[in-house]
Amino acid sequence: MTGFIIRRLGEAIIVTLGVTLITFLLLHALPGSLARDILGNRASPQAIAAFNKQNGLDTSVFNQYWLFLDKLLHGNLGYSFQYNRTVDSLLASELPRDVVLGGLALIFSLAIAIPIGVAQAVRRNGALDYAGTGVSFVLYSMPQYAIALLLIQFLAISFHVFPAEAPQSASALGMLEHPAGLVLPVASLTLVTYALFSRYMRSSAIDTLAQDYIRTARAKGLPERLVLTRHLLRNSLIAVVTLVGLSIPTILTGTLIIEQVFNYPGAGLEYFNAALRNDYEVMLGITVLVGIITVLGNLLADIGYAILDPRIRY
Amino acid sequence: MRTTIAVIGTGFVLLAAAACGSSSSSSGGSGAGSSGSPSTSTSAAPTAGPGLTSPTAPSGAKQTGGTVYYTEGAGATPNYIFPMTSAQVCGTTNITQLNAMMYRPLFWYGNNYQPTIDYDYSIGKQPTFSDNNQTVTIKLNPWKWSNGETVTSRDVMFWINLYKADPSKNYCGYVPGYFPDNVTSVQAPDPQTVVLHLNKSYNPEWFTYNELSQIYPLPLAWDRTSLSQPAPKTDNGHLPDATKAGAESVYKFLDTQSKALGTWATSPLWSVVDGPFKLSSFTTTAQVTLVPNPDYSGSPKPTISKLVELPFTSDAAIFNEIRSGGPSAVTVANLPSQYAPQSATVEGEGYVLNRAASYSVNYFPLNFNNPTVGPIFRQLYFRQAFQHLIDQQGWIHAFLHDTAIPTYGPIPVSPESPLASVNASTNPYAFSTSAAATILSSHGWKVAPGGTTTCEHPGTAANECGAGISSGQPISFNIDYQSGVASVESEMNDLEAQAKRVGININLTSHPFPTVIGTAIACKPTEPDCKWTSENWGAGWIYGPDFLPTGESLYQNGSVANYGSYNDPKANSLITATITGPAANEKQALTAYAQYIEQQVPVVFGPTSIGTYQGDAGTLVAKNLGGYAANALGYMNPEDWYFTK
Repeated sequence: MTGFIIRRLGEAIIVTLGVTLITFLLLHALPGSLARDILGNRASPQAIAAFNKQNGLDTSVFNQYWLFLDKLLHGNLGYSFQYNRTVDSLLASELPRDVVLGGLALIFSLAIAIPIGVAQAVRRNGALDYAGTGVSFVLYSMPQYAIALLLIQFLAISFHVFPAEAPQSASALGMLEHPAGLVLPVASLTLVTYALFSRYMRSSAIDTLAQDYIRTARAKGLPERLVLTRHLLRNSLIAVVTLVGLSIPTILTGTLIIEQVFNYPGAGLEYFNAALRNDYEVMLGITVLVGIITVLGNLLADIGYAILDPRIRY
Repeated sequence: MRTTIAVIGTGFVLLAAAACGSSSSSSGGSGAGSSGSPSTSTSAAPTAGPGLTSPTAPSGAKQTGGTVYYTEGAGATPNYIFPMTSAQVCGTTNITQLNAMMYRPLFWYGNNYQPTIDYDYSIGKQPTFSDNNQTVTIKLNPWKWSNGETVTSRDVMFWINLYKADPSKNYCGYVPGYFPDNVTSVQAPDPQTVVLHLNKSYNPEWFTYNELSQIYPLPLAWDRTSLSQPAPKTDNGHLPDATKAGAESVYKFLDTQSKALGTWATSPLWSVVDGPFKLSSFTTTAQVTLVPNPDYSGSPKPTISKLVELPFTSDAAIFNEIRSGGPSAVTVANLPSQYAPQSATVEGEGYVLNRAASYSVNYFPLNFNNPTVGPIFRQLYFRQAFQHLIDQQGWIHAFLHDTAIPTYGPIPVSPESPLASVNASTNPYAFSTSAAATILSSHGWKVAPGGTTTCEHPGTAANECGAGISSGQPISFNIDYQSGVASVESEMNDLEAQAKRVGININLTSHPFPTVIGTAIACKPTEPDCKWTSENWGAGWIYGPDFLPTGESLYQNGSVANYGSYNDPKANSLITATITGPAANEKQALTAYAQYIEQQVPVVFGPTSIGTYQGDAGTLVAKNLGGYAANALGYMNPEDWYFTK
């Protein structure tokens, strides 16, 4: 296992570098220029030239990429001219908040999706299954934006049960001190994620139920509760573990809509804003981050397989 | 996600401002609300033009204290505190919503709803011009910095020294050849007097509104190159800013400190203020908390105990917070433009709507140097025909919720000012596709309604297409407009349809605001960046810090924002006349300039939105907040605000 982890981490570095190179080239192919965006249209050609020279933007793209890698190796993700902050500090302040949002939503969605998915599978084609399928389809097909606005309209504006915006504390711990403000953003993300997970869980559990070892367990007279918890659940979770591993980057940095609607500044929204403003180094910094998280998510999924199914060896 | 900061054009990305000029403006400053207590300023504040509204004073008893919660623009948070702003940090979020409330500019531009200087709120007294308008003398009021030092002429020279030392000349508002290039020397004959000697005679109004508007006195406590050095209190003759190299070092130090956002609230530099407020806290999410400066010299003193500026990630988040929290959560909020239809609903929840205007003109440029269609754009008749295709009244009603005003030329119509009267009273190129077709037909084009109009008679005679246009050439070009703003998209779709009726083929593309405005650059036909044909970033130009709308940045040959490369000798000389002529002739010069530009249409004029300075639908003010009046030039005066019981 140790060798496998080291090998995967090595692959991860190569993949991440490849992603940064492609992103870097794509970003520089976009119309517009950082200097013009930053300095505005009133800037003289001399000012543009001075800005480009000062920031190494007057050199070749590959030289700029090399400078980026050099900074990256020294733990420097660059500088955001839009925020006048280092990308490191920007991400350091926003990623913990994303972990709170994404982490809570992941926990709640799994806590709901797994039992409901199993229950639907066990009572396949019954009323519960149809109801669960209907709810999942509705939630899955609804835009995240619509779910968020509906929750705000009813629970914040009409009945004033919860605040319409997330806690505005600068730290993750500070946000947890105001749980009421987290309810609606976490619920919005949870509902969408739950719909996805529950479908996978149901499907996986149905496959597992058809396995011989389930029939054997039942034939041996094992109580249904134990059949489900000892034999069904563990084997059915492999598909969900894969999905969770792949979903982690999206959950942590892809919650753009939630961040927009609930006034929840995070990395997803930051990437979107940076793309609008040609803030290259922020985009690259987040790309590196997402690359690392993706690789780690896959690694965790692989480790999860081994734990769930001892037959799997690396 | 509008925020669109759409406005701009200039360095003051959002700070616009205005100007005013004319002889009457020289006495500006004593108007309604400028001098008295907050309670008189609101109710007496005039509205400033058609479609504009202002809140009335609340009826309850005035209270001392209370916290005002104010919404920052969506995604627009302060990132620079040093009040010498370079182009890259030049915007309302830094200047009007942060710096100017702590560090006062030499003159306070905007007198409530009037685009004039308010001398009652200014450190500087009205400047006097002598020596054939080549010498400017400015007397200072004896204001105090919060560290006990007096605001002196040396503080003004400190600012000028830093400005002149910048090798890149990248300051907000800098126009090559103008300030400080046109200042030959500066003297401080006594602590309360500054004398500027100019390289030639300038129109005093222009110099006051477009040049002196950039100056902020800086405290000598900042005249150092590291925090470990003691803060200077007086000029001992060896302060570093006195030499160019020293000034560069001081600027670099202050610039670096200003970019250390996390240190703002505790910095020994930024705590020295002369404005009515000082910074109490600044969070990593860019929430700003300002508290009154107890040593503020001006009047009135702040009544509220705290001003908290709230950051938001989107317009939807702003609107949801207003709807769910009401005045207890948000005291003063700019209502995002897409929520204009719901303004009455929101008002019912405890707000009054203030609808003001920025001192701006909406337009979009055509690229005269595009190698293909540039020759067509250079034809005056074509520009006039094209302007006939702009249905300004229809757009205002259908797409802008009747919160915009028609725009025909370079002088803002709203807020009202003495200069507004120089504009044409009627649209010289009223919406008419038949008029456009007639113009094209009479200049050698074979008009094909619904098809493709082509040049039938090339040549340079009066009834021919014009220089550089070949036989059979179609009128086809691209308009790239700002994405994400429904009104702009609707306008461009309508223009495409109207143009098609006279055989002009417009291809529409949309991009984010920075891309659109970044693509519109002055260029030569052979340059690769000159392929753009027309760029519409949605809001034209806000005048600021060029508060007198004289056009030296926009339509003069080679000027910084003459993106389309319009070049007309008569326009050049008319603009020069507005700058260098005597004050007595200013209105005539501006009239001649404005009417010529209206006739020339060097850009395509469109309706200018009103609502707030930042282009929102209006400002929601809690009903129990008095003293609010929108500054016509974008600054904020929360020292006027007060709560009532």
